[in-house]
Amino acid sequence: MASQKDTFQQKFKIKGGDFIKAGESSCEIRNILKGIGIDAEIIRRVAIAAYEAEMNVVMYAQHGTIHFTVNPQEIGIIVEDRGQGIVDIERAMQPGYSTATEEMREMGFGAGMGLPNIKKNSDTFTITSKVGKGTKLEIVIKLNNTK
Amino acid sequence: MTTTSRYHSIKINKKKCIGCIHCMKGCPTRAIRIRNGKAVIQYQKCIDCGECLRLCPYDAVEPITTLQADLKRFAYKVAIPSPVLYSQFGTQTTPAEILHVLQHMGFDHVYDEARMCEMVSTAIEIYLDGHKTTRPIISSTCPVVVRLIQRLFPSLRKLIIPIEPPREMAAKNLRREISQRHKIAPEDIGIIHITPCAAKMVSINRPLSMKRSYLDGAISIHDIYNEIMMRIKKTNRSLLLDTERPVSGIGIGWTMSGGEIRGMKYHNTISVSGVLDTIRILEDVEAGKLKDIEYLECLICPEGCIGGPLTVENRFIAQSTINRLKRVYGEKKTVDVRTVHRLFKEKFFSFEHSIEPKPFPGLDADRAEAIKMLNMKENIMKKLPGKDCGACGAPDCATLAEDIALGVANLNDCVFCKGDRHDK
Ligand SMILES: Nc1ncnc2c1ncn2[C@@H]1O[C@H](COP(=O)(O)OP(=O)(O)O)[C@@H](O)[C@H]1O
Ligand code: SF4
Ligand code: SF4
Ligand SMILES: [Mg+2]
Repeated sequence: MASQKDTFQQKFKIKGGDFIKAGESSCEIRNILKGIGIDAEIIRRVAIAAYEAEMNVVMYAQHGTIHFTVNPQEIGIIVEDRGQGIVDIERAMQPGYSTATEEMREMGFGAGMGLPNIKKNSDTFTITSKVGKGTKLEIVIKLNNTK
Repeated sequence: MTTTSRYHSIKINKKKCIGCIHCMKGCPTRAIRIRNGKAVIQYQKCIDCGECLRLCPYDAVEPITTLQADLKRFAYKVAIPSPVLYSQFGTQTTPAEILHVLQHMGFDHVYDEARMCEMVSTAIEIYLDGHKTTRPIISSTCPVVVRLIQRLFPSLRKLIIPIEPPREMAAKNLRREISQRHKIAPEDIGIIHITPCAAKMVSINRPLSMKRSYLDGAISIHDIYNEIMMRIKKTNRSLLLDTERPVSGIGIGWTMSGGEIRGMKYHNTISVSGVLDTIRILEDVEAGKLKDIEYLECLICPEGCIGGPLTVENRFIAQSTINRLKRVYGEKKTVDVRTVHRLFKEKFFSFEHSIEPKPFPGLDADRAEAIKMLNMKENIMKKLPGKDCGACGAPDCATLAEDIALGVANLNDCVFCKGDRHDK
């Protein structure tokens, strides 16, 4: 396990319903990773996972946080929110499944590919949720196999 | 000059530089520092956007372009002026006049690039129709955008359309044609572009998608503006009518923001201009937001090449002049689509090889070390005032913190931290 010293971490706050600021945290995460010379393909995967997770908080929760860590072995993204939670996780994970409103779809969201894409781009992915309380995503993307 | 500056298109004239912070503040990649009272470019971070050139009030940032005298060594001289040139001399001057005047300025042949722009525009449409899954496809015209992607957005490089821009294709074609027609060895033909930006020098000296550029240099519009203007004033205009060639507004308008997508009636497109907006849109592409856009035109200069740093005319006047020309010449295609299809099949327009990623160096080549430095940078940031004043010689506090972590600057460089120390 990596020690405290060789881990960089940063917390980001996300506000539900704030489509104006949406996407800023994942953009900042990408820039941090570029600054430490992480491989482009890894950054692409992190970008998709972080952006989709961030957007889900914006769309379906009141507020949330992204806890981002990077150490020489792996990148961790923990996204936790307070919000409606997910009734049927298995169903939410299905490609194409979405409860996005008509307005959200008109804005180009709600293709139902967010969670499946997060999973596809992570090395380990866990999702837990309590209805009426909130949702927690734990995403790990490993660094050692490339570069 | 340092070794890397050889491959760049701008340099600081130390005699003229007074060490104000205009260029440093405006550099989008934070490549400039003030050292010993003079601006210094860290070339490994420079993308040749020319922002510094625009911003310097003392003309101390100088473009490196080809001089007309450099062409002496060629037996046969060809000029390919960017269509931007047509926008520089007011609405009363026609492209034919400008081409005619150039012909008398020591060139054996002058080619109207607008024609090739139209061909490339058709080639792009053919490419888009054959590649429906990758989205968005990004334009390859602006050499700065291509380098920005290679360095700052390396994961997007495969989205760059693998078709060479019109200036290169025109030179490729002309070298072949002239060498055959006049029985001149291809290497004795000197082909130059007349350019609104110095960045073309970089794509000529260090091409990213071909072994060797088809162009031998690029002359700045700024450098030959006066001579063209004087000659235009002296020409007998009535002689020029029969030299008018059939070009369409599509080619003439190509170098203006939106020019590349104008001919594309059946595609979802976006055009963006200006360095900051280009970075923003590329961030969006990286986040996967632009999947329903088929073609993304990005030009680093405001309003496109007509806003290039080596142009003379106010870019909004230039825009109006081009718009007028577009009305005169119409927007109907004048190229033979079948010819373009044939050339496309022969891979005439194609990149010779794909573009290699070349990301900016991270804080350290060793990942663990880089993460340590990042933490160090964060800790240093806490000590800095966050005023981004630039007095330390770095463009903002975050960059100074980074420089301190890298060991090339000192906390004492900050005028506020110095003050603190005295107080205590
Ligand atoms: N953080 C969350 N809180 C509550 N519900 C969520 C959350 N994330 C996802 N969901 C639910 O899971 C569904 C599928 O999510 P996703 O795959 O991202 O597709 P989309 O966002 O396009 O609907 C959403 O429509 C929503 O009902
Ligand atoms: S050309 Fe652009 S990137 Fe290079 S130093 Fe000047 S402002 Fe910075
Ligand atoms: S937008 Fe045009 S003029 Fe400006 S740098 Fe790019 S190619 Fe050169
Ligand atoms: Mg989603």
